[in-house]
Amino acid sequence: MPSQRGSARRRQRCVLLTGIAILLIALVLAAALASVLTGRKEEASPEPLKWQGGGTTRNLREIVLGRCYSYLVEGRVKLGDKDCLKIWESLKAAFIHKNPCNATTKDYQPLMELASHPVPCNKSLFWSRTYDLVHLYSRSNHHFLTLEDTFLGYMLDGLSWCGDPSAPGINYESCPKWSECEGSSGSVFWKMASKMFAEAACGVVHVMLNGSIETGAFRSSSVFGSVEVFNLNPDKISEIRIWLMRDIGGPQSDSCSGNSIKKLRNILEERNFKITCEDNYRPVQLLQCVHNPGHPDCSLCTNSTEAP
Amino acid sequence: MNNFSEVQGRKWKGEGTTQNLESISIGRCYDYIRVVNPAVGEKNCSELWEAFINAFINKDPCNILPQDFELFFKLSLHPIPADKSLFWENNQLLVNSFSDRARRYMTLGDTLFGFFGDFLNWCGKENSTGLDYESCPTAAECENNAVDAFWRMASMTYAQHSSGVVHVLLNGSAEGGAYPVRGFFADYEIPYLQRDKISQIVIWVVDDIEGPNIDSCGYNTVQILEDRLKALGYDVTCTDNYEPVMFLLCLDNPDHSKCTLSSSAPAAAQRGPISSDRGGSWNRLMFVSFVGFLFRSALVH
Repeated sequence: MPSQRGSARRRQRCVLLTGIAILLIALVLAAALASVLTGRKEEASPEPLKWQGGGTTRNLREIVLGRCYSYLVEGRVKLGDKDCLKIWESLKAAFIHKNPCNATTKDYQPLMELASHPVPCNKSLFWSRTYDLVHLYSRSNHHFLTLEDTFLGYMLDGLSWCGDPSAPGINYESCPKWSECEGSSGSVFWKMASKMFAEAACGVVHVMLNGSIETGAFRSSSVFGSVEVFNLNPDKISEIRIWLMRDIGGPQSDSCSGNSIKKLRNILEERNFKITCEDNYRPVQLLQCVHNPGHPDCSLCTNSTEAP
Repeated sequence: MNNFSEVQGRKWKGEGTTQNLESISIGRCYDYIRVVNPAVGEKNCSELWEAFINAFINKDPCNILPQDFELFFKLSLHPIPADKSLFWENNQLLVNSFSDRARRYMTLGDTLFGFFGDFLNWCGKENSTGLDYESCPTAAECENNAVDAFWRMASMTYAQHSSGVVHVLLNGSAEGGAYPVRGFFADYEIPYLQRDKISQIVIWVVDDIEGPNIDSCGYNTVQILEDRLKALGYDVTCTDNYEPVMFLLCLDNPDHSKCTLSSSAPAAAQRGPISSDRGGSWNRLMFVSFVGFLFRSALVH
């Protein structure tokens, strides 16, 4: 009798132990499976693409909106009704989630339409490799407008943006430099904006070029040389005036009589433009002197200090 | 009676709060820390905005004091590089051009806190947390309005954190004199300069190109200023018609006799073979208000 009971108990114990073992194995397997699955999920969300330029400006939305409303309040140019939120959404839609090397003009067309405005005649000021000086001048002399003084240019000047196929769709780490790919977001945008700015120009237009550059003041590969020059309208423009500025105390590499200006003149005359050129246009040179006060080229002839 | 006039329309004589003030201010804050002057480091721009409006909303718009903005200035404060402070009176746009967005000098308008509020307008309403977009009190209507309270605190803060050689640009053609004896510089900046941090005070008195020569170094109000600063123990120098600033004024009048460069004689020979047509007279320089921005744009460009 006792042996029968004993073996039954042993059998019960066996079943119990086996059950517990199976349960433990199942738990371990479940844990392992879970970690594998989540591991795979992490592998599935890729890093953004890597480029050579600086990433999207942080707080791009706030900066663009702030500049948009600011420009409207300033009233520098007659704009009519502009919806800043719509403009931001249109900019975002142009690049978010997209590969930043595949930008097209179609991406930016809605933004261009929302933000464009006419430029009064005789005010357009073009430039090539004179960024600091030309904007110092246009900020001091409100008669002239560079692209960066128009609504669209003002909102985006100095900012960086590009998309990425992976979430969240904006690449804050890096963006392609213009040299990295033909269709980079930045170059497509600025070339399109430059084209529109050139098309809108009328009357007498000016262009500030840099006479201290060894390779010449005018380059066909620049945005001015490749886009703007070819989109100026000879029917709307009465004259193109070139200001050839050399750095104070800098190399005197080029001048109005130099080869690169001859080349520019040929291109423009072929399109029936009237061109004039002036070396070191006085008012701009005075501006250069503000920042080079000690230079011998910058001493004023008369220095009256009469008492009141 | 107040409620009745509110229902009627404009309560005050001055312009109302700038449209979209919040978006503009927060945008400027980020513009400054990301583009114009990233050296100031990280700032919480939303927190800054909250501190700013809490200084004056839901209060009597005629009873706003500089101390009400204390938190805003504490949060937006950043170092001002030594030798770069530039004070001014009666020549704001000129001084902005001269400072070149903090690259040459850092005026109050080139600091984060100055950049935040420059050329904007604001006021609140009593018993309401909203901003008044219809009208705001002028200084004549109330001395203790929100805008003046802000700029008083801004001036004090700016002066307190200035060091090294400090400069002040005065307008020698200003009616009433180059140095206003009651004004932001006199009342809220000079008293807050820290004598132990300042090595010298350099005064520049510049006349408008075609303007009258009302004041100069050693005369009238400028003499008053020089005496006051010397009495406070500062090393003071003064220069009339400081050339670099003259060049800026000459942009408007390049052919004026005061604007002839001694090197300009050969300029005619430098012209290219194409005849140059500069046109006749130049328009007067129209200094319309511009947003410091910015920017530019944005900044430091």
